[in-house]
Amino acid sequence: MARRSAGKGRLIAVEGTRGHDLRDAAAELWQRFEAREVHGGVSSWDASGIFSDLRVEKRKHLSLSPRTLVLLYAADLVFRLRWQIRPALDQGQVIIAAPYVDTAVAFGVAEGLSRSWLTKLFAFAPPPAACYRIKERGKALRSKGKPLDGFVEFCAAILADDVAAAGSVEFRREMLAYLEELDGKNRCPRLTRRVISSQPV
Amino acid sequence: MVRAREKKRGLLIAFEGPTGAGTSTQRRLFKVWLEQQGHEVVTSKWISSRAIRPLMKARARLHALSAEELCLLQAADFRHRLETQILPALWQGKTVVADRFLFASLARASARGLDLDWLLFAHAPLFWPDLVFYFSVSPTTSTTRVAAGHAPKFYDAGQDVTNIADPIASYRRFVGRMIKEYESLSLIFQFVTVDGEQPIYEQHRRMRQLFEEQRRQPWGQGNLEAVVEWLAWSPAAAEVRRGASIRG
Repeated sequence: MARRSAGKGRLIAVEGTRGHDLRDAAAELWQRFEAREVHGGVSSWDASGIFSDLRVEKRKHLSLSPRTLVLLYAADLVFRLRWQIRPALDQGQVIIAAPYVDTAVAFGVAEGLSRSWLTKLFAFAPPPAACYRIKERGKALRSKGKPLDGFVEFCAAILADDVAAAGSVEFRREMLAYLEELDGKNRCPRLTRRVISSQPV
Repeated sequence: MVRAREKKRGLLIAFEGPTGAGTSTQRRLFKVWLEQQGHEVVTSKWISSRAIRPLMKARARLHALSAEELCLLQAADFRHRLETQILPALWQGKTVVADRFLFASLARASARGLDLDWLLFAHAPLFWPDLVFYFSVSPTTSTTRVAAGHAPKFYDAGQDVTNIADPIASYRRFVGRMIKEYESLSLIFQFVTVDGEQPIYEQHRRMRQLFEEQRRQPWGQGNLEAVVEWLAWSPAAAEVRRGASIRG
């Protein structure tokens, strides 16, 4: 599918494995812009309510595979692009997407899905002007969180216990390894205080 | 393990066509006939997954879905049905009749202007039926049959792309595009075409004949990928995994 351009505004992606951290990092980054009266905002996971609605269903009907979960993430992202991200970009605003494409790709890669399938599936999403990953280590990696905290927490709650445990430390390390690999290609550096304070406004 | 199951596995037969082509009528007749022939038959209907269908219904009621969202939710529904209904049944040697399979989504999404290559990726790994019956009807026949029943719903009528307020008038325009896409898919993927304008029993008799002439083929690469992935994660396949590890 043809990728549409990101418009006049500025799209910043923030990627990571924990919903809470993503929300906090996006809020901190947005403060930098808000303080300078820049228009825009933050686009978060599950804006479409797909995952919240699924959570309401009984778990026995919810034997969703990693691939199905990625497809649902993509459907939610299409919604976010349509109602939050593209309108802001078209008006020349700054929009922070936390998470954006690479969190879902990292999840898929850690679950053993093909990178080419993941990349082509998300071809509809415009490339961000900048992409950052959150620093995660130690205790934070062991914290499972609640299912609606974020995409990875939701998947961890849904996927069967005897399959790759999406909430485990090892699984999150695999996701982080993918994001670090992007960093190695200068595509997704770590989000630090210095990075935040040096954002052009 | 998958190759060893090949001879015991069930058959997947898909019924495809635009609304009003008669797929549901023929599917019911064919199911009864298969059962009389000794097959244990499971039916799988398009957009019927217990997890995804409620999401789609709620959003379709609000006319809130874009073509891409609709396609991705249909792809999720397809994957969920494949992994929770179709593959477990085939693995147990049952015959599955699918009242519209993935081609229903592909034809409609292509008619909405989405790129076929991307659509195929969204539905990958593609799982190939053993036989696809395509019920060919003209846009006029399809519209006449649809108009004789309830008015088609917003997305069934293609009102999201035609912007025509009258559902029947919208369907009349949309079905032309849909049939064109179906005809292309039919050529690319070699469907078995049944003339949906023939008398009902004549179509049924032809299908029996085509089914009996069909030679069983081993699963192709896409099917094997889908089965291996299903075996790797699905709670429904846990027993199969345990059996394999005991034998191994």
